[in-house]
Amino acid sequence: MQVSMKWLQDYIDLKDKVTAEELADKYTMAGVPVENVIRADEGLEKVVTAKVEKIVPHPDSDHLWVCTLDVGKEERVQIVTGAQNVREGHIVPAAMVGALLPTGQKISKGKLRGVPSNGMMCSAGELKLDIEGLPEEQLNGIYILPADTPVGVPVATVLGMDDVVLEFELTANRGDCFSVWGLVREAAVLTGLPAKYPEIKVNEDDEASAAEMVKIGIEARDLCDRFSARVVKNVKIGPSPAWMQARLEGAGIRAINNVVDVTNFVMVELGQPMHAYDYDEVKGHSLTARRAVAGENLHTLDDSERLAKGEELVIADSEHPAGLAGIMGGLESEVTEKTTTVIFEAASFNGPSIRRTSRACGLHSEASGRFERGVDVTKTCRALDRACQLLQEMGACTVTKGIVDVYPEPKEQVTVAYTAEAINRRLGTDLPAEKMTEILESLGFKVTAKGEGFEALVPTWRNDVSLMEDLSEEVARIVGFDSIKSTSPRGDMMQGTQSARQTFIDSIKRVLVSLGMTEELSFSFTSPEALDKLCVPEDSELRQAVPIMNPLTDEYPLVRTTLLTSIMENAVRNFSRKNMDLRLFDVAPVFAPKALPVTELPHEVVKLVGLISGRRYEALWNQPHDMVDFYDMKGIAEQLLAALSISKYTVEAGEHYAMHPGKTAVFKKGKEVIATVGELHPQAAENYGIKQPVYIFEMDVETLMKYTAKSFKYESLPKYPAISRDLAMLVDDEVQAADIEKVISKNGGKYFQGVTLFDVYTGKQVAEGKKSMAFNLMFQSKDKTLTDEEADSAFKNILQAVEREFQAELRA
Amino acid sequence: MEERIKALKAQASEAIKKAAGSLEELDNIRVQFLGKKGELTSILRGMGAVAKEERPRLGKIVNEARSELEKLIAEKNEELKVRAMENRLASEKIDVTLPGRTQALGHLHPLTLTLERIKDIFVHMGFSVEEGPEIERDYFNFEALNLPKDHPARDMQDSFYITEEILMRSQTSPVQARTMQRYSQAGEANRPIRMIAPGRVYRRDEYDATHSPMFTQVEGLVIDEGISLADLKGTLETFLRQIFGEKVGVRFRPSFFPFTEPSAEVDISCVMCHGKGCRVCKGTGWLEILGAGMVHPNVLAMSGYDPKKVSGFAFGMGVERIAMLSYGVDDLRLFYDNDMRFLRQF
Repeated sequence: MQVSMKWLQDYIDLKDKVTAEELADKYTMAGVPVENVIRADEGLEKVVTAKVEKIVPHPDSDHLWVCTLDVGKEERVQIVTGAQNVREGHIVPAAMVGALLPTGQKISKGKLRGVPSNGMMCSAGELKLDIEGLPEEQLNGIYILPADTPVGVPVATVLGMDDVVLEFELTANRGDCFSVWGLVREAAVLTGLPAKYPEIKVNEDDEASAAEMVKIGIEARDLCDRFSARVVKNVKIGPSPAWMQARLEGAGIRAINNVVDVTNFVMVELGQPMHAYDYDEVKGHSLTARRAVAGENLHTLDDSERLAKGEELVIADSEHPAGLAGIMGGLESEVTEKTTTVIFEAASFNGPSIRRTSRACGLHSEASGRFERGVDVTKTCRALDRACQLLQEMGACTVTKGIVDVYPEPKEQVTVAYTAEAINRRLGTDLPAEKMTEILESLGFKVTAKGEGFEALVPTWRNDVSLMEDLSEEVARIVGFDSIKSTSPRGDMMQGTQSARQTFIDSIKRVLVSLGMTEELSFSFTSPEALDKLCVPEDSELRQAVPIMNPLTDEYPLVRTTLLTSIMENAVRNFSRKNMDLRLFDVAPVFAPKALPVTELPHEVVKLVGLISGRRYEALWNQPHDMVDFYDMKGIAEQLLAALSISKYTVEAGEHYAMHPGKTAVFKKGKEVIATVGELHPQAAENYGIKQPVYIFEMDVETLMKYTAKSFKYESLPKYPAISRDLAMLVDDEVQAADIEKVISKNGGKYFQGVTLFDVYTGKQVAEGKKSMAFNLMFQSKDKTLTDEEADSAFKNILQAVEREFQAELRA
Repeated sequence: MEERIKALKAQASEAIKKAAGSLEELDNIRVQFLGKKGELTSILRGMGAVAKEERPRLGKIVNEARSELEKLIAEKNEELKVRAMENRLASEKIDVTLPGRTQALGHLHPLTLTLERIKDIFVHMGFSVEEGPEIERDYFNFEALNLPKDHPARDMQDSFYITEEILMRSQTSPVQARTMQRYSQAGEANRPIRMIAPGRVYRRDEYDATHSPMFTQVEGLVIDEGISLADLKGTLETFLRQIFGEKVGVRFRPSFFPFTEPSAEVDISCVMCHGKGCRVCKGTGWLEILGAGMVHPNVLAMSGYDPKKVSGFAFGMGVERIAMLSYGVDDLRLFYDNDMRFLRQF
C-alpha cells in the first residue's frame, strides 16, 4: 500500500502541521509501519523559478554570459552561465547557493573568470527531470519554463513534484488500513487533527432500474458474503481527470480510463475492491458468484487462459466465468472504448479462498490483497455510490435507479467485554478507564459501561478485533509502547538449565576445538548425486532419505541422512579456494524416515563427523612439512573419547562405504560401533576431484553419550617408583599391534601398569616379511618399591607369551 | 725472606690480573701460589728455618699476602664468571623474530559462539533450554500457534513441506506449544514456564546476502500469573543490553503476529552509526532485531493452559542477524560457506 501525502491531505489538514517524516514515524510507532518516505522533489529544495532580466556578455570570455535574475525577492541575483539558449525574459529554474542537486552537484558562491556568480541556472538533465519531447538544448542547456510561470516559487511546486509518497508495509491484520480513508482515520487519532470525509451522494438520474437490468446471485454462500451492484448508462469512456490520475499515480496505480480509474480510486480511497463489467458483454445480464466447474476456461484480463480446478470462486454470467472473483476480471466483459453501459460490482469474498486461488494461479492484485485481509462487508453499497458519484461528476454517465444487493446473512457487529483492570494487568500499566474509553472511541469503537466493566462495540472495518486482548493492543499502540514502563517478571525463582544431551554436545565441541578442529555448520539437505559421490551403496538405508515436496533447487531435494555429504561439500569448496589444510567437524542431526512415503515424523539422530587433510603443522621454518595421515585422525578420535571418559573399547580393522577398505578402524564397545575412522575411499576422492588424502571419522552422539562415564573419581598418585622395561621384537608383518598389546596386558602379572608402542620399523635391518616393534612396559606396586627381580620375572612371562603367540624373536 | 714474600705477592698479583682467559687459568694460578704445594705455602712450610722471634711477624706477612691474594682471586673469579656468562649469553643469542612453533588451533563456528552468548544470558535469568524436532507437524508449527491453514500471515513464512501435514519447521515456536502440551498432559497445566528454544529452522527463501533456506532461531516463552507487556519490555531490554552493550537504544513498535496480542517489533539503535543513520540501518538509525508479544489466548488455550489464569510473553530472534551485527559480517552466506579463512577468525 502506498499513498501520496496530497491524497491524505484531501481529508485531513496536515499541511504545515506535520511533515511526511513525522507522520511516517507516528504511523510506524502505532503499528502501521511506513517502510519509505519517497520524495519526488529530493534535491530540488533550493531550486526556484527565476526570470532572466538582463543578459550581458562576460567581459573576459567569448562564450560566458552574465545574467541578472529576479527570484521573487527585492534583491536581484547575478549568475554567470555558459549556456547559449537563454534570452532576456525567459523563466528558468535557478539553483540558489546551498542547493544540493539530484545529480549530487553542490551549488556554492563563486566567481567565473573574475565575475561573481551566486547560483546556477539548470538544465532538465541537471534536475533529473524526465520530460517527454523536450528539445535537446533544454535538456543540456537551460530548461525554459512556460512564460506564465510564477516567479520565485519552488520549481518542484510548478512541476507538480512536491508530492510525497508514503510507502506502507502493512501487517496482515490491518485490512482497514489498506485505504486512504482508513489511514486518515489513524492519522486523525495520532495527530489529534480533525478528519473530514467527502460526502457520498449519488443522483439517480436515469429512469431505468438496475434491478430490472441485471440479475445478481450468490451460489457459493460460504465464499461470498455479499454481492452488490449498480448499473450506469450512457457511459462516455475517456481519460479520467488529471487530479484523479495524479492520486492514482501516487498510489502506484496506472491510469487506464475513467471507468477503470474510478473503480481503482474507490478501492484505494475506501478499501473496497470493485469491478466494472461491460453490460452488453455479460451474457444473460446476470452475474453469479459460484464455484468454478473443473476444467472450465478462465480467460482473465491479462489474456491468459487457465483451466479451473473447481475450487475457485468465479463471477459467471449465464454462460461462462466472467472473472476470477476478487482477483482479476474476465477479458470478454472488459470495459472498452465501445462500452456504453457498465455494471459496477462491490462484493465481499472469503479471504482464505481468494488467497488459495491467488496463490494457485500466481495472480496477486490490489484487490486480492485486500480481500485476503478482509474488507468491511457493510460498506459495499457506499463504494458503489462513490463510484457512480465520481463518474457522474465527470459527466461520463447516467446512474440507474437502485442497488442490486444480495446479502443473505447480514453480519452482526461484534462486541467485546473488558475491564480496565484486565487491560492494565496485561499491559503492566495503570491507565484510567476513561483514557481507554477515549482511545477506543477515537478509533471508532462504541464503549458502554456494563456490569463491573465495559463493552466495546467493534467498528465494522476492524475484523481483527474480537477479544479483550485485541483491545489491549489498541490501547497500548495509541498510548505508545515506549510509554509503558519496563518491569521484570515476578514469580517463583526458576532454575535455568539445558538438557544433558545439549551439555554433552557442547563438551564434544569444546574438546574437538582443543584438538585443533574447527566447527562448520551446514544445510540439512542433500541429493541422490551427493550420495553417489560419497559411494553410498544403492541398497543402503542412507538412500532412504525424506524427500521435500517443494525443494528450492534440484541441488537439494532430500533431507540428509548423513553429515558426510555436507562435510565433503565444504572440504571441496575449501580446496577449490586453495584452502588445502583442513581440520573440520560438524555436529548436527540427520533424518531417518520411519517409512516412505513419510507418514510420521522421522527419527532425528545427532551425528558427529570430522575431516582432516593437508599439512600436519603450519608450514613454518621450524616445523616438519609432512602431511596428516590416518593416525592423526585416529589420534583425534582417541583423544576425544578419552576426554569424554569413554574407555575400554576395542579397535579393529573394519568397513565403511566411504572409507579405504585397508585404512578403516572401527571402535567398538562390545558389538556396538562407537566410532569409525578412516581414509576417504579413493573412489570417492576421485568422484569429488580431490587430489590429496582426506581422513574422516563418523560417530553417533547418542551412542557416545551412552558410554560416557556418568561420574568421575580421581585415582590416587603412586607412592612407590615404577620400573620400566623395553621389549623390542621381530614379528610377521601381518601381526596387528592391538593383538600384541592384548597378549602383553593379559600376561603382565599383578604389577603390570601399561604398555606403549614406541617404535615400528621395517626396512634394511629387518628380514623381509617381518617388522620390528618396540614396546615400553611399566611395572609398579601400590604397596612397595618393586625389585628388579620382580620386574624381570614379569617381563619374562610377557616375552614367553609373545614368543608363543606370535613367534616373536627378541631383538638384541 | 720478606723480600721473597713481597716478590711472590707481586708476581701472583700480576698473574691474577693478567688471568684474562678463563676460570681454569685462574685456578692454576691459585694452585701455583696458594695450593698445598704452592709457592707461598712452601714459604710457610719453610718457616722452621726462620728465627723464632721472626716467625710471628713473617707468619703475619705471609698470611696477609695470602688473604690479599685470595681476595684478588675471588674478585677475579667473580669478574671472570660474569664475563663467562656474558660470553655464553652472547653466543647463545637467537633471532627471536622467527615465528614460534604452533599447535593446531580449533575454532567454534561464529553462530555457535553467538548462540552460546544468547543461551548464557537467558540461562542466568532462569530460562531453561528446550528442544524439539526439526521436521515438525503443521499442527505444532502453525495451527497450535493460532495460524490456521489459509491464514494470510502464513505468507510471511514460505515453508518446505514433506507432506501436507509435515514440514521442516519454519520457526522454533512449535517447541513452545510442545512444552506447554507436555505440562498440561502431565496434569500440570498452567505450570510457570521460562524457556528458550534455539535451533535450526527452514524457510523457502532464495539463498542471498540476507536470506538462507536454513537459519538459526531462538524463541523464548515466559508464562506465569500476571505476566505483562511491561515484563516483556524489561526482559528483552536486559537481554539486548547484555548482547549489544549498556548504551544500546531499544524501542518497541506495535506489530502483528498471529500467536501474540499485542505484538511488537523490537528495534535497537544502529550498532554501526549509533542512530545517526547509515547504509546498514537504511538511514533510519534503527535495526529490527526481535519479534515479540503477549501470548495470544488461543495459543494458551490450544495447549491446555487457561488464559484466564495465566498470561505470558514470547519472543523470537535470528542468531545470524545478531552474529552479523556483532561481528560486522555483511553477507549471511559466509556462515554456511565454511571457508577456513572465515572460520579461523573466530
